[in-house]
Amino acid sequence: MAIGSILSVRNLHRDFGGVQALKGVDLEVARGSITGLIGPNGSGKTTFFQVVSGMDRQATGEVIFDGAPILGLKPYEIYHRGLARTFQLSRVFPQLSVLENLIVAAHRKDRGARSRALELLARVRLEDYAEVLGSDLSYGQQKLVEFLRVLMSEPSMILLDEPAAGVNPTLRQTLWDMVRHLNGLGTTFVIIEHNMEVIADLCREVYVLSEGGIIARGDFAAVRSDERVLEAYFGRARQ
Amino acid sequence: MSVRQLAVAAALVAAAAALPLVASEYHQSFMLQLFMMVALAQAWNLISGMTGYVSFGHAAFFGIGAYAGALLLQYGFPWWLAVVKGALIAAAVSAPIGLLTLRLRGPYFAIAMLGLNEVARIVATLWVDLTRGGSGISLSPALLPGLSVNYYTMLLLAIAATALVAWIHRGRFGLELRAIREDEGAAEMVGVNTVRNKLSAFVLSAAIPGAVGAVFVMYTSYLNPSSAFAASLNIQMIVMVMFGGTGTVWGPVLGAGIVMLVREFLWAQFPALHLALLGAMLLVVVLFLPGGVMSVFARRKRMRPEVITRESR
Ligand SMILES: Nc1ncnc2c1ncn2[C@@H]1O[C@H](COP(=O)(O)OP(=O)(O)OP(=O)(O)O)[C@@H](O)[C@H]1O
Ligand SMILES: [Mg+2]
Repeated sequence: MAIGSILSVRNLHRDFGGVQALKGVDLEVARGSITGLIGPNGSGKTTFFQVVSGMDRQATGEVIFDGAPILGLKPYEIYHRGLARTFQLSRVFPQLSVLENLIVAAHRKDRGARSRALELLARVRLEDYAEVLGSDLSYGQQKLVEFLRVLMSEPSMILLDEPAAGVNPTLRQTLWDMVRHLNGLGTTFVIIEHNMEVIADLCREVYVLSEGGIIARGDFAAVRSDERVLEAYFGRARQ
Repeated sequence: MSVRQLAVAAALVAAAAALPLVASEYHQSFMLQLFMMVALAQAWNLISGMTGYVSFGHAAFFGIGAYAGALLLQYGFPWWLAVVKGALIAAAVSAPIGLLTLRLRGPYFAIAMLGLNEVARIVATLWVDLTRGGSGISLSPALLPGLSVNYYTMLLLAIAATALVAWIHRGRFGLELRAIREDEGAAEMVGVNTVRNKLSAFVLSAAIPGAVGAVFVMYTSYLNPSSAFAASLNIQMIVMVMFGGTGTVWGPVLGAGIVMLVREFLWAQFPALHLALLGAMLLVVVLFLPGGVMSVFARRKRMRPEVITRESR
């Protein structure tokens, strides 16, 4: 494990019957960084999150988080160790109020959960929605609430799967501002995002997945001009 | 719980406690059965209403408690110990069953529980040495407490079951159960230990019918496999909870009360048609009030903030 890494992944494999969704992924995330994970549709980005977060426990390889192996642990165990993730398609609890959606994600012993939930809602100007049911929010609001939800446990690392997809420009700006703010306080992020401007703007390091393998890593400028990346995205020079 | 709700609850309990002073044995029996259904409906509400695991087999735990109670009374245990042990035995049996069945989701869990009840009935029928099989167990009146003891014990169970649901509902445990009901995967992803929570809810929801079954057998003094493991009992629990309001604290109380009163009335007035009429009534509620009768009271919560702001500020 490289010095300064909070997450270290080695030789990660995941097959779905015939489809090799991940074939030997190696990846390092520096503590305190914002790392981008990009790649064409179906390249295995979400599968990677599923495995690292413990939702998918069928993979082989090695995943070290904060110095300890976590592959095979249950999602709630990984969450309580400080690694949280959001879903590509929002999964707020529809029949719980927004406030309950947040409180349930706090640690059990956390006595200040309620007031921190209200604080978080105020920060994105959703304080009037505390008692509204999750299902009564717009899709964009749901995605934002899902993001706030994982903040309740004050994780040291957050995996965001296209957090801005389906969110209107105003809320989107709020979201990225919060990511930047939290990162300033020390939270590490891995972000899957199709908008390359956002990736260029936020991420110090970018990994590119294609057909289940990492084909490039580095800063965005280097990755963007990489031959294999252009080929994966635009099919250039393909037989 | 609000002060008003507490006041209503206290008034109901006081009325129920005073009833034996004025009511006939017939009316006391009716109320005893009502308390029984409240307790059973709350037990079902706990696992199926709050956690979302719809059980078609909770009568199995009622039957296990009933047999445990009957046998313990015959072995000379005092009635109250038979009731306590009925709850404990049902809970003990439920733990390994829950561990197996709670892996299943949706209809698979429902069907597995239905199967459990059938298996339990067959076991009770075939294990003649213990249960006397189909001919059943008759308890000598000398072993049994009187109607008023049964009445107050059943009342206590109804109160205890409702209080348990109320306490769970307002606390962290209940919140986690409801999150599991809404989206189990997402709940697990935000730190909810789903296996432990589901199993705890399941065991609690088995202990209640266990105790109720033991009191029931003291009340009827006779037990056989088809009265202990009656599929119709499962249906009644489900119907009453859905009628009143699934996953709420007062829904099962309201549902059990309304359904039993209406059934009694219909049965007296239209003996041939009463079940059909009851079914029609249930259909109307499910179609037009999917949240049950309680949803009439809960309308406010569903309003969007614009509406709340306009109304209450
Ligand atoms: N549960 C599953 N069962 C079978 N195949 C799956 C499953 N989940 C993912 N796959 C397959 O694995 C591959 C990677 O999918 P994944 O969802 O990880 O891609 P992605 O990079 O997140 O794509 P997108 O940008 O569209 O979200 C795809 O070929 C997909 O069809
Ligand atoms: Mg994806």
